[in-house]
Amino acid sequence: MEIDLVATTILTAAILAAVPLMLAATGEAIGERAGVLNLGIEGTMLLAGFGAFRVTLSTGSLALGLLAGLAVGLIVGVSFGLVVAVARADQVLVGIGLTLAGTGLSTFLFREAFGSEQPLLAVGGGRPFDALADRVPVVGPVLLGQPWFVYLAVVLVLLADVVLRRTTFGLRVRAVGAAPFAVDAAGLDVAAIRVATTTIAGALSGLAGASLVLVQLGFFRPGITVGVGFIAVAIAILGGLTPWRIAIAALLFGVLAGLSPGLQVARVPVSVEFLQLLPYLGVVLALLLARHRLPLPAALGRPYRRGAVRNDV
Amino acid sequence: MNRRQRSRIRPVTILVLIALLLVPGVPLTSAQTDVGTVAIVTPASRSNQGWDQQGVDNLVAVGEELDVSVEVAENAGYDDITPILLDLVSDGSQLIVCHASGYQSVCPEFAAAEQVPVVVIENPGAVAAGLVSDIETQAQDAAYLAGVMAGMETRTGTVAVVVTGEPPTWNYMTVGFAEGLKAARPDARLVYASVGEGTYDDAAAAKQTTDTVLAANADIVFGMGDGAAFGMIQSIREYNQARPVEQQARFIDVIGDKSASEAGDFLLTSVLFDYSAAYRQFIGDLEAGTFGSVYTMNLANEGVRLLPTVIPVRPETAPAVETARTAIVGGTVKVSVIGDAAGVQARLAELFPAV
Repeated sequence: MEIDLVATTILTAAILAAVPLMLAATGEAIGERAGVLNLGIEGTMLLAGFGAFRVTLSTGSLALGLLAGLAVGLIVGVSFGLVVAVARADQVLVGIGLTLAGTGLSTFLFREAFGSEQPLLAVGGGRPFDALADRVPVVGPVLLGQPWFVYLAVVLVLLADVVLRRTTFGLRVRAVGAAPFAVDAAGLDVAAIRVATTTIAGALSGLAGASLVLVQLGFFRPGITVGVGFIAVAIAILGGLTPWRIAIAALLFGVLAGLSPGLQVARVPVSVEFLQLLPYLGVVLALLLARHRLPLPAALGRPYRRGAVRNDV
Repeated sequence: MNRRQRSRIRPVTILVLIALLLVPGVPLTSAQTDVGTVAIVTPASRSNQGWDQQGVDNLVAVGEELDVSVEVAENAGYDDITPILLDLVSDGSQLIVCHASGYQSVCPEFAAAEQVPVVVIENPGAVAAGLVSDIETQAQDAAYLAGVMAGMETRTGTVAVVVTGEPPTWNYMTVGFAEGLKAARPDARLVYASVGEGTYDDAAAAKQTTDTVLAANADIVFGMGDGAAFGMIQSIREYNQARPVEQQARFIDVIGDKSASEAGDFLLTSVLFDYSAAYRQFIGDLEAGTFGSVYTMNLANEGVRLLPTVIPVRPETAPAVETARTAIVGGTVKVSVIGDAAGVQARLAELFPAV
């Protein structure tokens, strides 16, 4: 009975933990498909997480908080896009700057708003399928006992998958990442498409930060993302920049991360340091093993200049 | 200034110097210092409601009391903090509190190189006259009392320790807690789970770990986590929401007092740290020219103590805790002092062998 409960708890928590990761990684994948590498996800998530927390704390509404997180992410995404796609600034430097700025600004705003207080919110919101959850042991609570936002996040990721692979917009995004000069020659605005993708990516990163704070934890603290934004970049690549694969990779990462407490409770004689390393080791190994199957867009990380030689995209 | 004026000034100057020498606090020898500014370096945020905040808050309070300015360098991390120390010195700090056991080496080296007095944590071997003083947190004794309380209060017989790292201070407390639990409830089961090394602010992982120990039937969680402690608190809060009071889990905190927060409803107690007396002594030592000693925070001087419980507990609990406290202060109970992680694992396996 206890083992069942521990297994259920680990898997339930793994899905919840995977949600911010899969949203942020999906956003990153959309941006990378268009040739934009965004290392500023961490900063975006922190700013959006703070905004979402502040709004939900003031209004009592989870939905408004999530919308606030989305809005913050969207604004940050547009700004990032204008700087890297229109002003053609170095993507890596701007991304790192965004992470540093987001971390610092969210910490400052939190201190200004709350000082040394730490308000807590009720987490999660409603669980639409909770009534069905207990009918199936272990798997039931894991799959059906989640907050509504988890199902919405899955729908968003699948939607992103369809948009990227089956729509004209998706085709243009992929073309901009692979051969921006060709897109330009076809009369399309490369910078506009890139700004559109960074905006969508920002919105998804914002939702990721908001869901971490409102759905998973129920509070905001400075630096609360502890590297999720950077893991999202690795997960995006591991998922081959394909949203449905990203969702699976994020879930596996969540399960591996959740194994540590479970194995410790079971007193399995494995060092904690190794268990802590396990999910990261898994990502590195998977990236190594699948490196030939994970081709990245040719123009990734490179600003586009009309008239530049093709090798320089 | 002519010769006549100079001759008038000389006796006045001598009188002023004699008066200054008689005023308390004025240096009497060249080794003495009038302390105007002290600094504290913390690895994490000063508002983390844990180790870092408690150190800063205590030093600021002592600074106000003694009319000494306090500089705070927070979020310094665990890399080489020498540039930060140099900045603090150039800004006028005369004493630097290196508020982490992770600064055990860098700060004494800095003190020797720059001849600036520092305070370190849990490194008595580094003490040097005029340069290095040390704070020893004998928190294992207070943690023992928390373990006694947990043993008296657990309903399921399963108690958890959740840590977000294994620094010496927390290892001492883990062992103290386990020994107290064993003394009060020999048949108890202890679940020990580490969130990971240096995960002091990883609230999400701390929450996930606490979810797991609660699922393993623990009804009391002794959590050491700085900012990540809020992940543990939130986990217990969620767990309790769907349960009647008699089935709810409770939390034992460390370092600070979170009873005014949402955790107050299920906060059994906290192992409180109070560095004020140590800071007061070190500033006084520096002014008196006697800096360079070990200050031990313990139950007797109330540098560590248990937060009074405000939620309902069994009537037998408080007397049991008081009896244990008297025994420790009186020396009839000796709590093990184990600071290394391997030693902790060995002691836990000895106290609570796997079934």
